[in-house]
Amino acid sequence: MTFLTVVIRGLLRRPVRTCLTLAGISIGIAAVVALVGMSRGFEKGWQVGLKARGTDLVVSSRGGSLTPKPFNASIRDQIARLPGIAATCNLLVQVTSVEDSDLMILSAREWGGFSWSNLKLVTGRMPQSGEEQAVVLGQTAADILKKKVGDPIQIETAELKVVGIVKGGALVEDGSVIMSLALLQKILASPDQINAIDVRVTPGTNEKQLQILIQQIQRQVPEVRAVSVADHLSNSEGFRMVRAMTWGTSLLAVLVGVLGVMNTMLMTVFERTHEICVLLAVGWKRSRIIQMVLYESALLGFFGGVIGVTIGALGVRALGETPALRGLLQPDLGFPLLALSVLIAVAVGVFSGLYPAWRSSRLAPSQALQAG
Amino acid sequence: MTRSFLFAATIAGSLIGSVVAQEPSPPPAMSAEALAAKLDAVGQGSAIVRTQMEIRTKEGGKHTFQLQIKQRRTKAGTDLVYLVLWPNDQKGKAVILHQKAGTAPSGSVIEPPHTVRALKESEMSEGLFDSDLAYRDAVENFFAWKKQALVGSEVVDRVNCQILESKPDSSSESIYGTVRSWIDPARLVPLRIEKYSPAGELIRRIETDRVARDDRQQSIPAGLVVHGPRKNTVTQFNGASIKHDVEFSDADFTPDSVFR
Repeated sequence: MTFLTVVIRGLLRRPVRTCLTLAGISIGIAAVVALVGMSRGFEKGWQVGLKARGTDLVVSSRGGSLTPKPFNASIRDQIARLPGIAATCNLLVQVTSVEDSDLMILSAREWGGFSWSNLKLVTGRMPQSGEEQAVVLGQTAADILKKKVGDPIQIETAELKVVGIVKGGALVEDGSVIMSLALLQKILASPDQINAIDVRVTPGTNEKQLQILIQQIQRQVPEVRAVSVADHLSNSEGFRMVRAMTWGTSLLAVLVGVLGVMNTMLMTVFERTHEICVLLAVGWKRSRIIQMVLYESALLGFFGGVIGVTIGALGVRALGETPALRGLLQPDLGFPLLALSVLIAVAVGVFSGLYPAWRSSRLAPSQALQAG
Repeated sequence: MTRSFLFAATIAGSLIGSVVAQEPSPPPAMSAEALAAKLDAVGQGSAIVRTQMEIRTKEGGKHTFQLQIKQRRTKAGTDLVYLVLWPNDQKGKAVILHQKAGTAPSGSVIEPPHTVRALKESEMSEGLFDSDLAYRDAVENFFAWKKQALVGSEVVDRVNCQILESKPDSSSESIYGTVRSWIDPARLVPLRIEKYSPAGELIRRIETDRVARDDRQQSIPAGLVVHGPRKNTVTQFNGASIKHDVEFSDADFTPDSVFR
């Protein structure tokens, strides 16, 4: 009988308990995969959206959120004058309810600005002027709002017309109602108000020059904050909160798994006192006993991790297909996250096995007689 | 809610991120009258609000409305216009409500193109656009009632709230016998309101499910869930925008203003 056989037999001794423990760990790991995968997917989608627009820097008001406080559009002129700035585009982005959708992104862009250029028309046409009472919808937004070209759409107090469906190349772009900045400012009765400026720097600008430019913008206009596209979400207070919430919830689920494994391993040690003492009596070293218990708990963690990763990945995909969420989830379930999740599960297993392993190593061979 | 938890949490988190980060410290203890007076003062002024109203049935059905609310609240009284912006088949429907201090509320219902029907006093307890919120709930300001008492405290949504009990006296017209509000004293926001009949029966419960900062940087209830006497429906208000200090004239609270 090999050492591994002893370990596996230990786990199979109580198959129901082992399965329940596996279920506990896998649910925790599934939560990690699903929550972290969704949050990373959203973050990545937003960044892809900004890159798709050809944006290198985003300037917004201080306060850090996805829809920051509005500020005066004249700030753009101060930024556009700086050397190294190739183009700018004023934006007013709102997250609000539209018709029966309770959360929709309204993305109003300066007419003629470069942020329009990445939009690929799927059907219909683009607005013909900045004043036309018209919007184009990202494909996902059109799906959610059940709109086609020619349909009316109620934006705040104005009834506008959907003139086109577009593909923006990113989740956020595809989930937006896109319109001219002047039109939204008029509807909101907020002339000259914007809440972001997309900035494109001159080609060939390296990361160091980009950081210098960011500092120049900060000095020139202290009331705003400039961040590179890569840092945009990392700087968002709201997203930091979501990230913390995601990990917090996941770790809580993992903690339940830790307790489950610890309980199982302790019970195993108690039930196998006789066997462990006999093994000690026939010459097994204490370190080998510790190794055996830790291998068992690590194996529990590993299999729990693999099952959890599978459940999490399938679950989040199934969730994304439900009518309520279709198009809103683009989870990032890359290999690094899946591998990290399995590693967490193994670590949970080993950690949970430490105390039971220590207990088992303290048994004396003579206890085999009492236990027997 | 029909949106994903993550999406909603991200957006809501982003929107209220700064609010959470800068949680105001609790103010010194106040008397019931002082607390009610502060809440009354916070609610005063003129504003245009846009909100989504969703009436959900237990069977899973829902009716969604986009509403524009014009409101003018002063010590002397309250004037309101609730106008349906969407759905298109109900667009232009409106309800105008008035209540002068110490008098019964009055109002009219407007149906496009040009029908105006005055609301009878007995109809004031019916649902606004058939929701769980009664006409009188929209217009009645119980924080201005004279009888106010603090009757305890309770944690609501992790916030230690003071329970303010408001009772109408002879100068306040209401069908309610008692209104209890669970007030977050730091943000001056009611997180729960319960309205009882004079016999002590719970008639309506309004819960705040989202607090946001308005254009004056004051905390306001941005999401409300209303449970009325109808047991098979619940109404959710999902506030989208608010603009304060709008100049209104009396003409803005007449049927003609709606027809325009």
